[in-house]
This record gives sequence, structure tokens and C-alpha cells, in this order.
Amino acid sequence: MYALSTMAMNHRHFFQEYYGDSKTPFHLESETTYNGIFPDNAKPNTIAQQILLDLNMDGTHYVRGGRNGKPITIWREAPLWMKRITYTPDNNNLRIERQESRMPTILEELHRRKGFEQDYLLADLWGVIVDLVIAAMVFWVLSGLWMWWELKITRQWGGWFMIAGALLFALFIATI
Amino acid sequence: MSFNHFNRRLHLYLAMFLLPWVLMYGLSSLPFSHHDFFDDLYRGDGVSTWTKRFERSYDRPVPQGADLRQIGAQILADVDLEGAFGAHQPNQQRLNIYLHDFWDHTRLSYFITEQRLVAEDRRFRWDWFFTGMHARGGFQQDSFLNDLWAVVVDGVCIGFFIWIASGIYMWWLLKPTRLWGALALGGGIASFIIFLLAL
Repeated sequence: MYALSTMAMNHRHFFQEYYGDSKTPFHLESETTYNGIFPDNAKPNTIAQQILLDLNMDGTHYVRGGRNGKPITIWREAPLWMKRITYTPDNNNLRIERQESRMPTILEELHRRKGFEQDYLLADLWGVIVDLVIAAMVFWVLSGLWMWWELKITRQWGGWFMIAGALLFALFIATI
Repeated sequence: MSFNHFNRRLHLYLAMFLLPWVLMYGLSSLPFSHHDFFDDLYRGDGVSTWTKRFERSYDRPVPQGADLRQIGAQILADVDLEGAFGAHQPNQQRLNIYLHDFWDHTRLSYFITEQRLVAEDRRFRWDWFFTGMHARGGFQQDSFLNDLWAVVVDGVCIGFFIWIASGIYMWWLLKPTRLWGALALGGGIASFIIFLLAL
């Protein structure tokens, strides 16, 4: 997933040209009247959580607006879909839009996803897995170096490849 | 040379060459995953994030729907700055240009209606150094070395596919670890699917 998504991001301009827009559009899924009652002086996060629970859509989300009776927009981010829910208190309008499913967008969302930001166990577990991937990558580097050193027959060529990679990396660090 | 032999050599030498990138992508993921922790490390040190380099009056029209990179390049040329950059228009009144290399990051804010241009340098932070490296890519810069970096990024991605394929092949040849390997692989795939469906 990380390799595929990195390629999608590295060639973002290609995909933007392919789809004809730089932002993945949202399409209206439903528009209803929401009659839920919020606690007095409810904060945007409280309002968002209640709406998501009532819609049976609770999970990782981000909120914008919603202060002092202004419209609130909630982005509910699931790995395979993203929904934008807009609630306007003035007329109790609840608008649900779903982002168009595009593979590069899904991959990017998966790549950027992290845990430990909100009180959702699964999201935190995802964060733990991300940390495990990080630890594994460092472990693969160290264990790979050790295995390479143990294999005398490939030590010389392996060394040359490592030096070539390190020199190219250093060139990039110094110049771009 | 047998296929088995070729597979092992490819797996090893590719890893040796791409080792700095794998290590960099691994380590630089930490500040992304634990953003708040790294932010706290620097927050109390009294160093401001942005230092103003200059502020001057400036006038260049930014038509709606214009190519922001093109305008960004013109503005940079007007103030004698060059390098890899990105342009972003957060609203109709403002155009931001980010000029960056691995070590330095300069932000030019063009306040369109006020006809004012402000250049600010961002302080250096090690977490930003690594996350900047991690996030770097794409072929939109007009520079051979920047394009070469993007080619290497593709190479790292292809490298991962090769390590997966060659690793699975080597695992299958090792009968003593076949069962435990299958359990680990199956467990990983199953948990990934659960996350995809349940998150």
C-alpha cells in the first residue's frame, strides 16, 4: 500500500490531468432535515459526534465551523470512502456528500492516515501498526546489513552498491 | 546463474543501493505519526517559526484560473530567488509561494489586493528536515536533479514490489518457515482488510 500510494503521489500531476481536476469532487448523496437537539453551548466536536452517531457513521472525522450557530462541516474519513456532512442550524438542513471513488485518492488517504489523534480504538490500532511498519523498516535495514556482512561472497559488490546509493543520497541532500 | 541465485542477488543489491532511502522513509515517518510529541520538543525553546527576510510593495495580476506555478516562477524571478517551489492560493487576496530545499524553507506571501510581498524564512527543525525529505517528490520542478530524485522515489516503490515478490519466493523455498510465514502473511492480510472495512 505504501509503495503504491507513493507512486500515486509522485505522479499526482499525471492523475490530475487524467481526471481533469486537482481536487476529487464530492457528489450529493442525500439532503434531509435533522431534528436532533444539542446540549446548550455545544462545541463543534460535540455536535459532530452526535450527528455521526445518529447517522450510524461514527469514526475518524474532522470538523470545521459550527460555532455560534453557524453551519458545521464534518469530514468523515473511512479508508475506502470519504463523506462530507454539512449541517445548517438555521433550517436544520443536513447535507451528505460522498467523495468520488478514485484509486489515487484512496491510496493517498491510506498513506496519510495515522492514529492517536481521536478517541477511536481502531484508529489508534492503525497508529500502532504504522509504528510497527516504521520499526520493521529500521529492523530490515539493520538485519539486512548484518546478513550482508555475514555473506562474504557478496560483501564486495554489496559494499559498492551501498556506497553508490549513499553517494547519490548525499548528492541530493547537498544540492536540492 | 540460476533464477534462485539471481533472485537473491537482486534482493540484496537493490537493498544495499536503496538503503539510505528505506532508512529515511522509516525514520521520517515517526514525526508524521507522532506530530504532537515532536512539536512539543521545539515549542518551548523561544525561537520563532518564521523570520521576516523582506517586505516590499509589489504588483502582479493574478487572474482567476491562472497557472499558479507560472506566476510563482515570475515572482521568484522578480525577487532574485530560485529553487524548487510550490504555489498555493488559499483565497482571492493571497498567493503563497513555498521555496524549499532539504535544509531551508522560505515562504513568500503575496497579498494581491494590498500589492505587498513578504518573504519569511522558516527556522530549521530536524523533524521538518525529515518530513520534508519524506514528502518530496513529483516531476513538476524544472530541474534535472529534482526529477532524478522523483525517479529514485519511483525506484524505491518498485524496489518494495521486488522485495515483496523475491521475499515471498525465498520464503516458499524455505520449508521449515513455510507454516509460520504463511500464518504471519495471512494474519497481516486479514488485519489489513479488517482495517479497510472497519475504520
